[in-house]
Amino acid sequence: MRITDFLFSRVGKWSKQYSNLPDSYIKRAMEQVYWRNPKGIQYRANAAVQRKKYHFTMDRPWTEKFRQTNAPNKHHLKRKDKGKQGIIKEIIQERNWVIVKIGDDKEFSGVYVQTEKPLLVTTDVALVDPSELIATSIEWRYTEEGQKVRVSTRSGRIIPIPATAEETIDYKSRSTYKEQPKDTDAAATSEITFEPRLRTFEMDIMESMGIKEHRIPPKSYWY
Amino acid sequence: MGSLCKLLNNLNIRNTFSLPNNPIYRRTISCTTVKYDLMEFFDDKKNWGAQEVKSGRSWKKEELRLKSNTDLHKLWYVLLKERNMLLTMEQEAKDQTRLFPNPERLDKVEDSMKHLEAVVRERNVAYHQLETGETGERPGKLETGPFGLKFFYRMCEYPVPKHMNKKWHETHQFYKSNRDTEQFLLKYREKLYLNKRRKRTRDFNHVIGLLNRFPDLDMEALKEQYPDVDIEKAKASRKYGGHFAPK
Repeated sequence: MRITDFLFSRVGKWSKQYSNLPDSYIKRAMEQVYWRNPKGIQYRANAAVQRKKYHFTMDRPWTEKFRQTNAPNKHHLKRKDKGKQGIIKEIIQERNWVIVKIGDDKEFSGVYVQTEKPLLVTTDVALVDPSELIATSIEWRYTEEGQKVRVSTRSGRIIPIPATAEETIDYKSRSTYKEQPKDTDAAATSEITFEPRLRTFEMDIMESMGIKEHRIPPKSYWY
Repeated sequence: MGSLCKLLNNLNIRNTFSLPNNPIYRRTISCTTVKYDLMEFFDDKKNWGAQEVKSGRSWKKEELRLKSNTDLHKLWYVLLKERNMLLTMEQEAKDQTRLFPNPERLDKVEDSMKHLEAVVRERNVAYHQLETGETGERPGKLETGPFGLKFFYRMCEYPVPKHMNKKWHETHQFYKSNRDTEQFLLKYREKLYLNKRRKRTRDFNHVIGLLNRFPDLDMEALKEQYPDVDIEKAKASRKYGGHFAPK
């Protein structure tokens, strides 16, 4: 199997992080099964014929739109804003794309509405050196505290990872997460109520509920 | 860290009925409102027809390990009721061809239940290992299926011994040699053998390609990655060495 086939068949780490969805849901929402082996005695039980390679687009893989329009479409990278500096708005890791926001996006020209097109990470964008404000390449290095940081090869300065990196569809940052009515609060979640005792779960529950069992189970056979 | 913990918000648990202000009555995992009627299978009325119903993430194993058995027991029923509610709402949405908002809630609940069960089993296994030296888990063994292929058979508990259990023999089929299965196995093994041989050839040729492209390759690493390839033999191959005349 080619490595590109392998890489293009799965949803990227950052896409998952942003979506804040469980893996099983992403798998369930994406899968396109054409045939599943019926239940019963089968030479390959649970075998399925399903789509393995996806064409990743600007639509997120778990959306209905992705499923409907998962067909090749043309993307041309605009070179109009070359040399400008902007902020990364969205990462589409499956295609190695980023969408960069440059200045105001409320520009109208005639009937055409200007929208951002994706840029290829390897060739079309670069990080900005914080001291000189010029595009630079980076290296990943470790600080003396053992922290992994991005270092500008131009000036040797650390380029900090922005706070928007931990942004998900549900919250901007972890501290600003708005609790939902069915959420357990953080204090209750981290409270330790477990006391190790020499008993099984069932014995403990029976004791706490005052259930006493005196019956002797009849002989049984395991096979 | 406090802000980090804010994320640790899960499914739970409402405290809508009033409790005495005494802290003894405050529990970490409390009970839902007591309704005891069929409407408990349905979501809150204000979520009917909603486009989006937000929720936190599922419980993690490391969080559940902190909780006492009683808490886990209660949480299990909270999750079970939530799952029943979500499945009912999903079916209802399907029947009325309406949108079922945030279907990932089901996965979140199921993940939590899976993690909870794993934690309970961990505790029971620890007890049984200590007391009896066995896991106390459901036993199983390798069996040969009707196609002659091995699978892990998980045993069950029965009140009658095996030779008396007629129904079990009807529903459980294992390998019996006959001409069809023999034929199938012959072809199946041939397929496996051919795949193995092709892989061997492919690896051999790939190693030659690597040696051609990277003359000063780390031989130890190469040997570790392709243990089945005889590197001396690969170097003796006529494909090794490229297109140049020997001096």
